[in-house]
Amino acid sequence: MRKYLARRALFALGTLVGVSLIIFVVLRVLPGDPLVAILGVEGHARMTPADRVRIMHDLGLSDPLPVQYVHWLRDIATGKLGKSFFRGDTVADLILHRGPISAEIGFLALVVSWLVGLPVGIVSAIKPNSWADNLARSAAILFIAIPGFWLGMLIVLGLLFWFGYKSPIIIVHFWQSPWENLQIVIGPAIVLGLAQGAYIARMSRSCLLEVIREDYVRTARAKGAQERHVVLGHALPNALLPVITISGVLLGFVLGGSVAVEQAFGVPGLGRSLVTALIERDIIVVQNLVLLYAAIFVVVNFAVDLSYAWLDPRIRYA
Amino acid sequence: MSDQPVPGPGTDHLSRRTFLRAAGVTGAAALSPAVLRRRAEAQETPSPIRPDPAAKRGGTLRYGILSAAAHFDVHQSGTVANIGPQSPMYDLLIRRDPRNGQTIIPDLAWKWDISPDGKKYTFYLRKGVKFHDGADFTAEDVKATYERIVRPPKGVVIPRSSLFTTVGDIVVLDPYRIEFRLTEARPKAFMLGSFASGWNIIVRKKSLDDNQGNLRQVMNYPGTGPFKHVSRQDKEVWVMERNTNYWNKGLPYVDKLEIYNLPPFSPELGSSFLAGKIDYGRLLDPVSWRKAKQMPNVTAAAFNQSVIQAFWMNMKRKPLADPRVRRAIHLAMDRPTLVEVVKDTAPMQIGGFVYPFHEMSTPKEELVKRLGYQTDIKPAVQEARRLMQEAGYGQGIKGLDFVVRDIQTFKLWAVAIQAMLKEGINIECNLRTVQTSVWFDEAAAGNFDLAISAIVSSLMDPSDYFSAWYGANGPQNYSGWNNEQFQALAKQIERELDDTKRKAMVRKAEDILEQDPPLIPISYEQIYDAYYNKVKGQNPSTFFGIYDVCRWDNVWLAQS
Repeated sequence: MRKYLARRALFALGTLVGVSLIIFVVLRVLPGDPLVAILGVEGHARMTPADRVRIMHDLGLSDPLPVQYVHWLRDIATGKLGKSFFRGDTVADLILHRGPISAEIGFLALVVSWLVGLPVGIVSAIKPNSWADNLARSAAILFIAIPGFWLGMLIVLGLLFWFGYKSPIIIVHFWQSPWENLQIVIGPAIVLGLAQGAYIARMSRSCLLEVIREDYVRTARAKGAQERHVVLGHALPNALLPVITISGVLLGFVLGGSVAVEQAFGVPGLGRSLVTALIERDIIVVQNLVLLYAAIFVVVNFAVDLSYAWLDPRIRYA
Repeated sequence: MSDQPVPGPGTDHLSRRTFLRAAGVTGAAALSPAVLRRRAEAQETPSPIRPDPAAKRGGTLRYGILSAAAHFDVHQSGTVANIGPQSPMYDLLIRRDPRNGQTIIPDLAWKWDISPDGKKYTFYLRKGVKFHDGADFTAEDVKATYERIVRPPKGVVIPRSSLFTTVGDIVVLDPYRIEFRLTEARPKAFMLGSFASGWNIIVRKKSLDDNQGNLRQVMNYPGTGPFKHVSRQDKEVWVMERNTNYWNKGLPYVDKLEIYNLPPFSPELGSSFLAGKIDYGRLLDPVSWRKAKQMPNVTAAAFNQSVIQAFWMNMKRKPLADPRVRRAIHLAMDRPTLVEVVKDTAPMQIGGFVYPFHEMSTPKEELVKRLGYQTDIKPAVQEARRLMQEAGYGQGIKGLDFVVRDIQTFKLWAVAIQAMLKEGINIECNLRTVQTSVWFDEAAAGNFDLAISAIVSSLMDPSDYFSAWYGANGPQNYSGWNNEQFQALAKQIERELDDTKRKAMVRKAEDILEQDPPLIPISYEQIYDAYYNKVKGQNPSTFFGIYDVCRWDNVWLAQS
């Protein structure tokens, strides 16, 4: 097991280094002048070449690329994560302030996806081709197809024009006011959760359909076990492994989807910060946030892989 | 023979009368400056913005505006993201009256004199004004502020420097009098407008000295304004409280300002206003604004903005260097339709090469009769085709690279303009949408044939933007245009002190621009504000631009 953990940790590190190199190079190769956003249109128009050289030097953008990369890795290693080009705000402060909101959205989205997806998948599987199954499958396809940001905007507009309601427009953390905090995160969580739940419903339906036909399930029924116990106690645990796997992969969709959904709901989370930083060419913020997202993805999928051994005693890692 | 002594030459005899006369004259000479000073001091007039006895005090004004600035140095900025949130913390030398946004009134300077030759501007400063950190405001602070604006230090870029190119010396006459000495006279309206520009906030000399003249990373440098910084959360809200030591006693009325970062024309701004999360929204999108207008307890106002929407033609490319081709492109534009195309995205109005609402430009009633501005575009298109034929491009032009800035209005317009060019004069262009920062890269490098964007000016006065937009080396002359007749005229306009003559020159300049266009004007932006009727004291309908009147010192809330 230790060897397995060490191997996986090494692969994870390699993945993160690869991501860091890619994002670093891409951001520096992309066209676009960050000084337009920093100085504004008029200021940029009036900038002399000497001004430009000086400002680029102050921002650390005139160093050779390998030097810039090493400085960045050093900042990560020391936990500083660097500073935004704008206003000198540190990336660490940005993550500490906005991260909890995005984390709450992600967590709630996961909860919603399982609360909705799993029961729908179970019902579909135990009553295949019934009206309930057909309805569930249609709904799942609908929520997979609908873009999350579009659904989010519909929700915002519906609440505004029918009820005159809008959620708080600045961050309120859970410990400051749980009710206001819930108002901020619940919309994006539902939209993202429903999309994920659709995948979970479909996956759990197909896995359960396969497992329910197994001999041991027939044996359990023959022994007189209640149907509920047969499904939940015998069939479902064996059908869960692929569902857990896909949940790990779906995390990537949550992270990516949160960028658009936060924008639609106007939630000032990390996803929105990423969009703004990209538009402003705030390279330091973009590369740190992308690396953070990659790290979360890698860690969560590692945890998913480890959970197999707990869920299925037959699985052991060498 | 008289027994009274008679003073004569060479005598040193002093009569009592002579003595008394001499003493009186000497005493008067010694006392008169003090008397005059006391008279001057006594005459320091309060600001015309007086507290309204009917106004209610207290409460928190919640204001929605773009306030995610790239830095904190207002002088170095050109975006509402700075001036919008930061303006309430600072004062100006003189200012635009917040009651109409037009008249220039005293601010930190209670009086000013202009020499008859127009080359000296002397400002008399208020006494007893304190910065937020308790320091006294004096002429040294004004000098430091304006030295920086007029002659920015290395690494500092200030867009308004060009307004003060003729300012030579800035002389502190005494702690409360300062004199600007111009190397050349400029029209009074232009100079006063420059001093009154909302961008030219007065900062403390010590703030500049302590930060090597660069305030970009300094969030809270002290001002003398009606509000003081309390807290700021990046891209969310900036909270300020009333300055209880404000020099204009009795103001401001509200206790607190909460300035929420809500981008212009965005759904967040519109929905936040309609849901009552903010009391005042600026730069609303037309849909939200129209909705707000229908609400019973809301005022929806529209006013002019200091921005032209246009597209440029790269004059280094052969067909576009020909003024006939450029005029043909100008005439092929159906401007009423272009304004209509974006009516739900951003409010616009038709205009030409100068601000259509300025007293010096061709009045709108005349402008809409001109070719290129009429509702019926057929005559204009006919003339455009004739010009293309004359220039040798009767068969049209193919393959122009049209660089589009990635903003909704430009993307909508680009498609419409592409169709107008094709249908009208058989010019085919390929649209290439790029991010804002890339657009400016491409424009600066000349990597375009046509390029669409918007540019701003500080003043409505043509002398401000004639040099920046149309000047031979103007920073926003992306086309690389040059017309010597225009440049010579522009120089004369800068120097002409007689308003009537100046107006005639501006009209002549307009004619030159119409025939030899440096850019193709599409429209001029309008601003949509909306506020709940509990917000009193604000009357934005006559404002020009969003940069000069955003201090909130005379605004009050009818209910908290």
